[in-house]
Amino acid sequence: MAAVAFPDQFKRETHTINGLKTTVLSAGKGEPLVFMHGAGIWHGINFAVPWTQKFRVIIPLHPGFGEADDDPAMSEIHDYVMHYLDLFDALGLDKFHLVGFSLGGLLAANFAVEHGHRIHRLVLVGPAGLRGKERPKGDFFLLPPEEIPGMLVSNFDVIKQFLPENPKDLDFMGERYREGGTLARLLWEHPYDTKLPRYLHRLTMPTLLVWGEDDKLLSVQNADIWRQYLPKAELQTFKGAGHLVLDEKREAVDAVQRFLS
Amino acid sequence: MSDGVRFDFMHFMPYPHLPENHKDYHSMWVDFPNKFYDPKKGAELYKRYLAELILAEKVGFDAVVVNEHHNTAYSMMAAPNLIAAAIIPQMKKAKICVWGTPPNLEYPNRLAEEYAMLDVMSEGRLEVAFPLGTGMEYWANPINPASARARYRESIDIILQAWTQDGPTTYYGDFYTYRYLNPWPRPYQKPHPPCYIVGTGSPETVELAARLGFGYSAVFVSKQRAFELNQQLRRSSAEYGHPVRPEQLPLQVITYVAETKEKAEEEAIPHLRFFFEDALRTTPTFLAPPGYLSVAELKKRAALADKLHGGFSFDNVNESFFVAVGTADQVVAQLEEWGGRMGTSHYNLLAAIGDMPHWKVVKNLSLIGQDVIPRVRAGAAAERRVAAE
Repeated sequence: MAAVAFPDQFKRETHTINGLKTTVLSAGKGEPLVFMHGAGIWHGINFAVPWTQKFRVIIPLHPGFGEADDDPAMSEIHDYVMHYLDLFDALGLDKFHLVGFSLGGLLAANFAVEHGHRIHRLVLVGPAGLRGKERPKGDFFLLPPEEIPGMLVSNFDVIKQFLPENPKDLDFMGERYREGGTLARLLWEHPYDTKLPRYLHRLTMPTLLVWGEDDKLLSVQNADIWRQYLPKAELQTFKGAGHLVLDEKREAVDAVQRFLS
Repeated sequence: MSDGVRFDFMHFMPYPHLPENHKDYHSMWVDFPNKFYDPKKGAELYKRYLAELILAEKVGFDAVVVNEHHNTAYSMMAAPNLIAAAIIPQMKKAKICVWGTPPNLEYPNRLAEEYAMLDVMSEGRLEVAFPLGTGMEYWANPINPASARARYRESIDIILQAWTQDGPTTYYGDFYTYRYLNPWPRPYQKPHPPCYIVGTGSPETVELAARLGFGYSAVFVSKQRAFELNQQLRRSSAEYGHPVRPEQLPLQVITYVAETKEKAEEEAIPHLRFFFEDALRTTPTFLAPPGYLSVAELKKRAALADKLHGGFSFDNVNESFFVAVGTADQVVAQLEEWGGRMGTSHYNLLAAIGDMPHWKVVKNLSLIGQDVIPRVRAGAAAERRVAAE
């Protein structure tokens, strides 16, 4: 498969966890900051470059996404929590800041609920997975693949460079289809985590919610659902930004950095 | 059927009363609004379609075939076992083929029970097929497409255990737990009704049919691909130690017979157009929900879909698929040629094509019964005599 071009300063390491090969990108020095990406990494990680000035930024690729191996037996979010316990052991990571975006936000929240003592500060960026009563919802699976890129951003130019020139590029389609399959294993039957709200009170570490005000995939109203369960969390929203708020707004990247510093 | 020749009549039971602007809808499946279904028209259609199935036996067909689809005007058989139950008491000797309910869409014990009921009710005339189900079914039913193949294999395993082992037995699987697998009734036929896999040619399902010793029928694949799959199944089944018997390879042919070739084409083409252009219209996303296909298969099909783009043409359809439209002579010759190449004399005819009116279906079935079936049988008998001499 075609590897995504990541910024030069990021070091690419391969780790084998329970027989599963995955890639860990890292750059910078300082307190460790783990970033859990969303249901695709094809739009790169350029947004993370400023963080490397102050932090040791660690971006592991989730099994079933990008160049990481597939494991059809990983069929629930908790399997990913267990995967990361092993990976963080392998990396010698004890305590760190955790930033999760979209699917990665749901994953980060699940990890932090169970292993909160390892998290200094938590940032959830447009996290997926909570269902409110009569609240706006987003169901990723309802989107035809060709419409997904447009739904991710407010300004299409931000991701244009990562898309193939031919919208029917078979390799790109195939890779996205594979990632859709990974996501379906986790979320097809239940796109919402109905148990997580019972445990969100365990997130006692300082927590920041970040949302793009023009998020077409998971509307900014979803932030209110999270805040019902996380009354102490700070919320920052950004005008003119869609779901990929970090890719679109440098101010959002800076806000995360300020919160973690 | 003792001559080895077998003719099935397959019905899709479409709902053809579509609104004028139906082409504005991207799909006739999954999300095509069900407000367009008028139950009064539906009642008339059921009466008509059941009568057509029953007529098939009277004119000389050996079996009738029904199948299952959801959320679509393509088919009014969301529950084909109900259709089977309705026709069993009205038919005397024809086999009733439910090809079939995707096992993923029912509890396996319940499907084993329903099929056993039909087999008992028909005194052993049931045949079943186990389809994975089209991608569209996974948008309409609450089953994960990403684990569909694994669940499917487990479901078939449970059904076969239920039919072949004295109960109660237990089953502790990845998807289902049975503490008392002990379905009543049990099938009339021993060890169980003849089974087939129907599919669109995924290597995994051909392999499965070979392993289980089931028949296999490819649907909506090109002629070329059907020949390849036929060879693949023969090789694979022989390796598993149960060589394929000719009756296990139903050859699906869209068939229409009339007095002249021109008349046959004139009468059939509008309905072929409806079938391919409208009834089968769906989206790539509905065809391939996430995880339903391997990435390699997805890419192969996406490349092919691009090539087929450009809408219906009779020449294209004729060239790509098994389509026999013409005089009885021509249809007999065509069936014998394809049957010869596929090593089968089991023909599954789609003889009620798309939105065809009742009179054409009756005419078609009658002409097939009168002029096609007897001659294919006679041809097979003559061939056997030659071989014996």
